Amino acid sequence: MIHAPHVDWFALSTVLALLGASGVALLGAVLVPRPAQRAFAATVAALGFTGGIVASVWLYVASASGHRVVANAFYRDRWTALAQAIVCAVGLATTLLSVEHMPGWSRDADRSRRDDHVAEFFALLLASAAGMAFFVGAANLMTLFLSLEWLSIALYVMCAIDYDREGSLEAGLKYLVVGSFGSATLLFGSALVYGATGSIGFPEIAHAVSARGLSHDVLLVLGLALVIAGLAFKSSAAPFHMWTPDVYQGAPTPVTAFMSSATKVAALVLALRVLATAFPQEARLWTWAFAGIAVASLTIGNLAALVQRDVKRILAYSSISHAGFVLIGLSAGTALGGRALMYYLIPYAAMAFGSFAVVAARERELGVPVTLDTIAGFGWERPFLGVAMWFFLFGLAGLPLTGGFVGKFYVLAAAYDHGWAWLVIVGVLATLVSLYYYLGIVRAMYMRPSDELRVGAAVAGGSPPREALLHVSVGLALAVAVGSLFAVEPLVDLARHAASSLPF
Amino acid sequence: MLGPGVVWYLGVAAFLFGIGALGVLVRRNPLIVLLSLEIMLNGANLALIVFSRHVRGGAGQIFALSVMAVAASEVCVGLGLVVALHRRRLALDVDRLSELRG
Repeated sequence: MIHAPHVDWFALSTVLALLGASGVALLGAVLVPRPAQRAFAATVAALGFTGGIVASVWLYVASASGHRVVANAFYRDRWTALAQAIVCAVGLATTLLSVEHMPGWSRDADRSRRDDHVAEFFALLLASAAGMAFFVGAANLMTLFLSLEWLSIALYVMCAIDYDREGSLEAGLKYLVVGSFGSATLLFGSALVYGATGSIGFPEIAHAVSARGLSHDVLLVLGLALVIAGLAFKSSAAPFHMWTPDVYQGAPTPVTAFMSSATKVAALVLALRVLATAFPQEARLWTWAFAGIAVASLTIGNLAALVQRDVKRILAYSSISHAGFVLIGLSAGTALGGRALMYYLIPYAAMAFGSFAVVAARERELGVPVTLDTIAGFGWERPFLGVAMWFFLFGLAGLPLTGGFVGKFYVLAAAYDHGWAWLVIVGVLATLVSLYYYLGIVRAMYMRPSDELRVGAAVAGGSPPREALLHVSVGLALAVAVGSLFAVEPLVDLARHAASSLPF
Repeated sequence: MLGPGVVWYLGVAAFLFGIGALGVLVRRNPLIVLLSLEIMLNGANLALIVFSRHVRGGAGQIFALSVMAVAASEVCVGLGLVVALHRRRLALDVDRLSELRG
């Protein structure tokens, strides 16, 4: 008889729900007749994500005392469960957005090819979310690397799925090359850390470092640096951000919405877990490293966004600067910082998703990329989406209309508490600069459309498509973004319970 | 212990990783870039196996085995994308993939 480790299936239930749904959607791509595929796959995806949300909430309630399961390879605790819930919620919203929008607006003109690969897209979406749900709970360097690739490979294909547009293929290949470069860096760093400590489990690494006095070991420090670089690639923080604007611009907009919210949540949540559990003795090193990365992200993200015309590129740079804000919370390296990071990600995910969803609506309506010129007049033509975008952008800027304000306040408080007043000043300055380009989009939306644009819209087909489900997903994002301002206390409590799983 | 010490093996691993990284950064043909990515991953694999022998534990070797599977699936997707690009136009040169810029 083979001696197998005990498997806590309940701890894996979120991942299994998503993976199961992914398998069913993939079967649907083969077995379900073509006209029904879109409805079938979307329903399966919605059910899968709902199941994932239920499972992760249940897991949150039932895992007050965190511990590792499945041969110590996976964390069952509230930090994992809350991140899984956020990822699944974003996945559900992406499903609603994708029903009418995928695999891409470039095929709207050709009815016969409109349903190409739609079931495969939902299967990939579910698989990628399953990878993220596993990633956030990874407890050793091997599960960390494997789940990182699991979520990434699915994302590479999703970026390129609108293959009639060269931009989409280009985004897919660029993301693949840069993403694999980041993963390989992380892998080499993991190998060095393993060589220095002789173990791959996070707490075992910390234990070996303190037991054998390794905290100034060259291999370990070099390995840690490479691991940090690999994680920064995934969370698109400067100076590892070069791929972000190109990929976010080229990928189909629903995929961008998913990447900018869910991937970032997963990468940042996991980054704090790795650093806090595996490298507590090097805290001085990585807090400074992340403070530097945060400053670079805030500077580059905000300054580069000022000169962009393409709305998706502006939002991509804005997402780089938000990675900087979250990393301010991370670089505090305290329980308060962990709480701030987790709270920040809730309204951020909703606002980032929502703003890209609104862009998706405009893009499909006109059939051209959305720039500050082509978005002109959008606020008057589609009042609900205009107002929602207004809230998202002001929220991203940090005005007290959404939870983004509290999140920013909270991460800056964590930095101040850590004794880094200079980081607070950088954060406030970055917020001021960011107001310029966020307001620029709002101004463009409510400007009168130019004459040639009006003609273009009429040629493209007159009245906009109905897109009821897109409105639902934008409405959900808006509710979460605004609700997180009014429900600060319960959400902070959730984040506090989650962060208490980390060893601070 | 006979044979070269762990430092030599580690040197080769780091050298492979460096060659791969350089290849990704300077070569322009996407096929060569994919090859270079594989070399990076294999450099890391070699380091894992060396350390696995060095610290006398099995984890590194299992890790290396699973990395091979991951590398294969990654290159599958990469080659698929290269073929799709190739179908759309002939020039395979990453410097000309510049529709996305700003």
